Amino acid sequence: MFSSTAYTILAGVIFFVMLIPLLILSEFIFLEPFFIFHIPYEQSFGFVLILAVSAMSAIVIPMNVYRIRTLQKSTSKIGGGVLGSIIGASAGICSCGPFGFALISTFGAVAGTATAFLSNYEILLRLGSVGILCLVYYTTTKSISSECKIN
Amino acid sequence: MLLAIFVVMIVSVAIAYSSYYERIIVMQEHRMNVSGPAPINLTSGSPVLGSASAPITIVEFGDYQCEACYHWYHNTRADIIDNYIETGKVNLVFMDLPFLGRDSITAAQATYCADDQGKYWEYHETLYNFQEAIDNGWASKDRLVSFAFNLDMNLDAFNDCMDSSKYAKRVKANYDESQRFGAEATPTFLIISPDGAVKKITSAQPYSVFSQVIEPML
Repeated sequence: MFSSTAYTILAGVIFFVMLIPLLILSEFIFLEPFFIFHIPYEQSFGFVLILAVSAMSAIVIPMNVYRIRTLQKSTSKIGGGVLGSIIGASAGICSCGPFGFALISTFGAVAGTATAFLSNYEILLRLGSVGILCLVYYTTTKSISSECKIN
Repeated sequence: MLLAIFVVMIVSVAIAYSSYYERIIVMQEHRMNVSGPAPINLTSGSPVLGSASAPITIVEFGDYQCEACYHWYHNTRADIIDNYIETGKVNLVFMDLPFLGRDSITAAQATYCADDQGKYWEYHETLYNFQEAIDNGWASKDRLVSFAFNLDMNLDAFNDCMDSSKYAKRVKANYDESQRFGAEATPTFLIISPDGAVKKITSAQPYSVFSQVIEPML
């Protein structure tokens, strides 16, 4: 499947579209006053998990697009991939950052509780997200192998 | 179910973004109407760390429950103190921007109760050394009192100060000042040069960024 240029490009686009905003939201990339990329030592595991979520999303989502388009199968499995990506992306919202501040000032205590949850359990949520994406990868691979089998 | 989660997230993001965008517009209009920003009022902030006559002032807007503030405190602050504050080139004032949880406000008030006993910076450091998850009880009233106990403070005076919410208005004044200068995240830093020009640095950026902003001002 990834021998097709279109799917490789789609995977690359998904990877960078996930990675760059996540690195900005998680404050690994700063754009002002200068562009700087900085990974504090104690946050390096968080950085690795962002890479994993982006890479897994970039593999799983095109696989499911292929499955739906080429094999005309149901869209149920892509749901798991999108859910895993959403959880991974949401966990990146730093409650101290501008986005967290805007959410808390707009929605008050409810948003405060939600962003606190996302911040406090960031690593666990990202691990969960990688877990979901691995599961979707496994089931999709199995599904594609059996569906493509020539009887 | 998945679609519902997705829709709720998109709507939340849209509303939060529109609110953020409106604030940016208001700030831009404000900038156009005034010839220059009124100087920041530091009177409600912390005592000055470093020489009061230092040519450059760093104003930190922070929240004691903010993880990014914790990272800045542990990764960057010491280098700034060694290279700029102890050499008399820069001083630092901390102003509260407590928005993350209910304990953020009481923790901020507690620092000024500690200041009454001349221990503002010791208390400030204690809070950043013992920071845990937001509102999990690490900055509850009892813990704030225990921090005061560990710093050999007069507990009766500290409790009276906390119970009377003596510094509630001061913390609110700090918050209002942070909004006047457009602080939309913690930590946000204003670097004020000798001629009054202000440069803003948002979030827990590394020492090299501060150095690049400060050096040309000296």
